[in-house]
Amino acid sequence: MAKKKTDEADLPAPTNGTAQGMLRAPAETLYAEELEHLIKEDKHHKPPGWKMSARAVLTYVCGGKAGTKEITPKYIGYQRLVEIAISTLVTDRALLLLGEPGTAKSWLSEHLAAAVNGDSTKVVQGTAGTTEEHIRYTWNYAMLIAHGPSNDALIKSPIFRAMESGTVARFEEITRCAAEVQDALISLLSEKRISVPELLTEIPAAKGFSVIATANTRDRGVNDMSAALKRRFNMIVLPTPSTLETEVSIVRKRVRELAVHLELRATVPTDDAIEQVVTIFRELRSGQTLDGKNKIKVPSGVLSTAEAISVLAGGMALAGNFGTGEVTHHDLAAGMQGAVVKDEEKDKLVWQEYLSNVLKKRGAEWRPLFTACSEHNS
Amino acid sequence: VTWKINVFGVRHLSPTGAWHLCRFLERLRPKVVLIEGLADADAVIPHLTRKGTKPPVAILAYTDSMPVRTLVYPLARYSPEYQAMKWADDRNARVEFIDLPSDIFLGFQDLEVERLERRAKAEEREGEAPAEPSEPATPLPQELWRPERAQSIYEQIALRCGEPDYDTYWERRFEHNLADESYRLASHELGKALRDEEDPPLWRAENLVREAYMRRRIAEVIASGVKPEQIVAVVGAFHAPVLSGDHPAMTDDELASLKRRPSKLTLMPYSYFKLSSQSGYGAGNRAPAYFELLWETLEAGDLHELPGRYLSSVARYLREKGTHRSTAEVIEGVRLVRTLSALHDGLAPTLHDLRDAAVTLIGHGELSTVSEALSQVDVGTAIGELPKGVSQTSIQSDFERELNRLKLEKYRTTVKQELTLDLRENRRAKSEEAAFLDLDRSSFFHRLRVLEIGFATAAKSSQQSATWAEKWFLQWSPESEISLVEAVLLGETVELATGFKFKTLLEACKTIAEAADLVNDACQCGLMKSMDLARRRLQELAASSTDLKAIAPAAFQLSQVVRYGDVRKFDPTPLLPLMEELFVQGSLALHGAANCDNASAQALLVSMDEMNRVSLEHADRVEEQLWIDRLQMLADADDRNPLLSGYACATLLERGLIANEALAREVSRRLSPGIPADLGAGWFEGLAKRNRYSLLARQPLWQELAAYIRSLDDEQFKRALVFLRRAFGSFSPQEKRHICENLGEIWGAGADAASEALEQPLTEKEEETLKELNEFDFEDL
Repeated sequence: MAKKKTDEADLPAPTNGTAQGMLRAPAETLYAEELEHLIKEDKHHKPPGWKMSARAVLTYVCGGKAGTKEITPKYIGYQRLVEIAISTLVTDRALLLLGEPGTAKSWLSEHLAAAVNGDSTKVVQGTAGTTEEHIRYTWNYAMLIAHGPSNDALIKSPIFRAMESGTVARFEEITRCAAEVQDALISLLSEKRISVPELLTEIPAAKGFSVIATANTRDRGVNDMSAALKRRFNMIVLPTPSTLETEVSIVRKRVRELAVHLELRATVPTDDAIEQVVTIFRELRSGQTLDGKNKIKVPSGVLSTAEAISVLAGGMALAGNFGTGEVTHHDLAAGMQGAVVKDEEKDKLVWQEYLSNVLKKRGAEWRPLFTACSEHNS
Repeated sequence: VTWKINVFGVRHLSPTGAWHLCRFLERLRPKVVLIEGLADADAVIPHLTRKGTKPPVAILAYTDSMPVRTLVYPLARYSPEYQAMKWADDRNARVEFIDLPSDIFLGFQDLEVERLERRAKAEEREGEAPAEPSEPATPLPQELWRPERAQSIYEQIALRCGEPDYDTYWERRFEHNLADESYRLASHELGKALRDEEDPPLWRAENLVREAYMRRRIAEVIASGVKPEQIVAVVGAFHAPVLSGDHPAMTDDELASLKRRPSKLTLMPYSYFKLSSQSGYGAGNRAPAYFELLWETLEAGDLHELPGRYLSSVARYLREKGTHRSTAEVIEGVRLVRTLSALHDGLAPTLHDLRDAAVTLIGHGELSTVSEALSQVDVGTAIGELPKGVSQTSIQSDFERELNRLKLEKYRTTVKQELTLDLRENRRAKSEEAAFLDLDRSSFFHRLRVLEIGFATAAKSSQQSATWAEKWFLQWSPESEISLVEAVLLGETVELATGFKFKTLLEACKTIAEAADLVNDACQCGLMKSMDLARRRLQELAASSTDLKAIAPAAFQLSQVVRYGDVRKFDPTPLLPLMEELFVQGSLALHGAANCDNASAQALLVSMDEMNRVSLEHADRVEEQLWIDRLQMLADADDRNPLLSGYACATLLERGLIANEALAREVSRRLSPGIPADLGAGWFEGLAKRNRYSLLARQPLWQELAAYIRSLDDEQFKRALVFLRRAFGSFSPQEKRHICENLGEIWGAGADAASEALEQPLTEKEEETLKELNEFDFEDL
């Protein structure tokens, strides 16, 4: 969870003592007050096992009002996708959030679980080393050897616990797990029960059980999910920020925060510079100019919002340590060269083509950045 | 005298509206049904309800003089108006249309176009005056006929109710409620609410005129002796609240003051595709096939089956195309749409919900997987039919008018005739029309060619190079007539149909070459708008390509269009940026492309030549320096195809960018003993492909070649000889002699001696040696 991001939300100050000392508190702790208000004001039908109605969950995630209390939006831009996600959970289907790196998949999953159950901590963090035991159960071997199989010796996985309690479990980065391990989920999700043959028993899932999984679209093909498993999920692809303005504001906010955290000792780049960098990233990412009039080639690397942030932060580090403390176009161009040109042969041509066909014709404000980038790319 | 009749407010093309209306009529049993439709189109009503007519069809009104204005009034099976006519036909009730007659509507269009032109001119004078945001500055004439389409009061209402668009707003609130009277009363209230909204004054004014006329017509019907309670009027929800005697009807003077354009009326077959692409008007027709499905389930009384039927149609379509989707996914989809609809308090899922569920479940989150299936299930491919002889379409009369205007009537025979055109301005002609007669004819023929109407076929002109001359064969046939009538589905006039055809061609177009051809075609057809679309498509395709063999011809074709466009009175400005872009792309792609075998190298020679010609012809526009740098890079490279390196060198040489000394050095480097003979000779072959004359004159070159040959041992010499022979193979005998003289001079034999040696016939022994050479074994090749 260390890399999980808060790009699309405004974090309020921790609301109570439990969050203190923690590097990052779970959503249900941070937004305890909002959740409380929503539950109090909720007048609609609550699905079994849920703490609040589907509509209240939507308000919690996308913002709105609970009585007089203002609810901050946690996920901005695509309300419809959130509606589909919530409806999926209502129908007891499992939910799979797909997307490029940096599109707030885990963020959304955490907040959905927090709103539905008031508990977002039943998490399996998928890695190449995840085993079937992490998904089903394992044993306290000392007890197992001493007393044989018993309920006391059973160590339940987060998914097991979610089934027992009728709540939502989260599965992060599911495509990072080996295919055999993913398979363990298939019968859990279709039969909604988990068998423990050692104890001669089978535990049925309580109403309200579901799974929210997340996966990177860039990982497809690494450990692609089997058709059988895919069929058990409703899939939602989370897109990158929809407008330039949203993305610029996310970048601006994060760059300011980074400057303080990392003590970069340089002035934050001007709004114009940020907008230019984000514009270039958006255009290269989408393969067309913002006005939609020209198509362009897409370089091979990921050009997420996070990369734009690091280009700007990197520029500040250059300016702070080797320059005057003012971020120049050359500082930005250096970062951009590294971000865009990942594959020397191809990306270099793509970048040059973009520079001469698009940036060069953009007029005087873009001229310094164009010149700097061209020099770095030659 | 005040009166009050039964008014049923509908949304045009609303299946549930049609369903409710049929029940309403059945309950009331009116004597007269009045419908919001062109008042002068009463005569076509019997044709509409007649057996043999299969919707979708459209009532088409058009002016019979230039400029052509048209007006289309489409009807689907589920149109309330169509069902009302059917009902009246079954029950022998009288049906009449009560909206303004077509000649007044067309007159409105004239006024609107004049107004827009005036404003455009005013803007030109003032520089860039701020355009009114609600109205596009240069809409197509055919988009003007119903100003409702561009208006947004509908969208405003939808947004206020938390719906993404008006279609969804309408569907959720009107299409699923089957309770008696719910539709009529709700749409009446909606109409009232809409009338309270702010809207553009012009649009409102037109509606007020129409409503005054409708009241006049209703009053006439009442005056003819029908009791008001025996009348039902079927009109748009917007008009429903004001069709009573409380508001004034249009007076004779007012009616006389309206501008009219003489018009003709006909029925034409329509298609669901066309209906969906005209979306906006009367709205609700973005998904005709879906609404047809809705109508079918309404009639069968199982509306709740709709989500299942819709989603399984999508899954079935995918299966047919080879992508397996299970029934379980369809079931889950149905469950998802129910919940989605419940989130918005809907009675049943809307199309919006269904599409989202299809993407989530059947597309596995990706729209691209299901988009084709969705458009199939939403739009469908249905095409209407009319009984024979009913349709006299506008495109036929437009065609005749064009023949007349272009003085081509005498060619409308079944005898094949030839016509040669000179596209240049005829300076002796008196009027502009006459001066460009041939050019207009050419555009017309090209349009027919694009529409595949076989009246005119292009003949290969004898003067290939003369861009101003064209030769055509003209021959009329019944097949041409049929394809002409069919073309009305594409547009109401030849010009509009061609424009639409270009649009579909461009959507289907997959390669750069096709798109470049379409740019050229559009230019020949004299259709600037289509040309602009083609240009955009070409740009899209070219952007994602690095294939020099595709980019170079496109750049070259554009440069030709730009260069010779003026013959066609054509403004090339919009093409220039694209030409520049393609040129940059081509230049950048050169080095990568040059890493290839000899077979592909031959094709690349052509591409390089095309690029070079573009750079020479448009040196002021394109980045010539980039091209030269890239050529230089290729000329210097040792790891690319030597033929192309040599050719790059020759191109630079031709431009005078390589000094004698540098050339000599390069020749010596390329032909130095360490380099395999085939590479060296290949390079030389490339070098010799261009511009031989200047090559022959460069003495240092021949000195290096001589030195090279001298440095070879016997085996190497044989090898080199084969390649050099190929390199010089395409030289003329005279050129070959010149080379020999050069070499003879260098080897000290003297030019004369060399030429004398060449004059001698070959001895037997020499022939033998040459033969051996032909059988030379290249081992590694």
